[in-house]
Amino acid sequence: MRWYWIDRFTEFVSGSHAVAVKNISLVEEQMENYVPGHPLMPGSLNIEGFAQTGGLLVGEHGGFTKRVVLAKVSKAVFHRYARPGDVLRYTCKLEEFNDNGANVNCVSHIVGPEPGETLHLEAELMFGHVPPQPGMPDEMFESQDFLAMIRIMGMYDVLVDADGNPKPPPQHLLDAERDRLAEYVR
Amino acid sequence: MIPPEMPFSLIDKITELLPGQEVTAEKTLRGDEQYLKDHFPNFPCMPGVLMLEAMFQASCWLLRQTDEFKRPIVMLKEARNVKYGNFVAPGQTLVVNVQVKGQPDDNLWKVKGQGTVNGKPAVSGILLLEQFRLEEKLHTPAAMDHVCRRNYLHEFDRINQSAAVETA
Amino acid sequence: MTTREEVYEKVQAALVDALGVDDDEVTPDATLVGDLVAESIDFLDIVFRLEKSFDINIDRAEMFPEDILTNAEYVQDGKVTPAGIEELKKRMPFADLTKFEEDPVVQNFGNLLTVSDMCRYVESKVGVAG
Repeated sequence: MRWYWIDRFTEFVSGSHAVAVKNISLVEEQMENYVPGHPLMPGSLNIEGFAQTGGLLVGEHGGFTKRVVLAKVSKAVFHRYARPGDVLRYTCKLEEFNDNGANVNCVSHIVGPEPGETLHLEAELMFGHVPPQPGMPDEMFESQDFLAMIRIMGMYDVLVDADGNPKPPPQHLLDAERDRLAEYVR
Repeated sequence: MIPPEMPFSLIDKITELLPGQEVTAEKTLRGDEQYLKDHFPNFPCMPGVLMLEAMFQASCWLLRQTDEFKRPIVMLKEARNVKYGNFVAPGQTLVVNVQVKGQPDDNLWKVKGQGTVNGKPAVSGILLLEQFRLEEKLHTPAAMDHVCRRNYLHEFDRINQSAAVETA
Repeated sequence: MTTREEVYEKVQAALVDALGVDDDEVTPDATLVGDLVAESIDFLDIVFRLEKSFDINIDRAEMFPEDILTNAEYVQDGKVTPAGIEELKKRMPFADLTKFEEDPVVQNFGNLLTVSDMCRYVESKVGVAG
């Protein structure tokens, strides 16, 4: 299984909040035999969806210059269990941010296939900014691959700054992307 | 008919199980797991939520064995104060130990878990688990609970290496 | 203006949320590290919640002076030197350091900070009536 637990960003206001959609599919690997006869989404993978939405919200606010890792799940409360066919909308709000890390408030609603929305999960996540240390590389991702990934997730289709103006990727990511492209064009 | 395997198993083996009390189990990160390509390309390590899932699944086996698989389904209802410490790198083994802290309701269990890697803390947290039969909660035919029971028993046999406990 | 009681209630709520403990475990004399089992990772969470709850800015080093406790200038043979004690007093006027002074073993410092100390710290930042 690959490790993408959100499908696409539908809203992203830098430094404020991010909303992402996750479609739960019958064909996903974790569905097989997890709850035989009535597949249900493992709760931990919903929490990972929050970690990815919230983690990118925190990372973007720092201009993608710091390494962001999930440090703590202070609280996660499931109001119901999600199943294949459900469309989940994850909303993450940046509550606190400093050099050491950030606190993000997260909520998931089931918004499809039936009309309306139902509360699914609420959680509070804390992220840490990891300083350089021995045994760990400076970058968890290659810059151009990281930018490609967040483009695929639709971040730059919806990312705006606090005034509502579209916000481009940071220069260091654009440079890496341009350099990689130059290799192909040669 | 051979029941299918559970691809999303985060337990390789159960080493100790005291019904109603505690369970100890292990998960080794092999290094060829596909998700490591994304987590992270330059630094493969076990995702934090999978450490949480390992503690959760160990709890599931404890609860199922405790009530003799009568209520086969266990789901994570709440997680509290789940903290992460050391990373688990490819080749390393996460050892999880979970203890029952209470039973707030007939279908609800509170457990406290920790996971270590080479004796060092990797994860800890408090979980609230809901245990039920499909028929009572999700209104599926009673036969589905039998299928669950049978599949889970097969998986439990595969991973259980704990000593049998003499019941009084 | 915030009252002492309001400060205590909000500090209690922040600790319950951050540490996953019950309301009745958070007593005025409970130590954060010893009784409530707070770890380094929790310190940041506690700071965030207090900042949000009281709309103040907190320098984590004011409540958790790890930089002094790991500074070779202020620590010798696992004990904080008199100069180190002075630094701690300056940094944390809200904390009662007399007990620690009697046996200033670095390892024990973590066990010093109580819920009351935390309330006094917040009171000094917020301004309290009664």
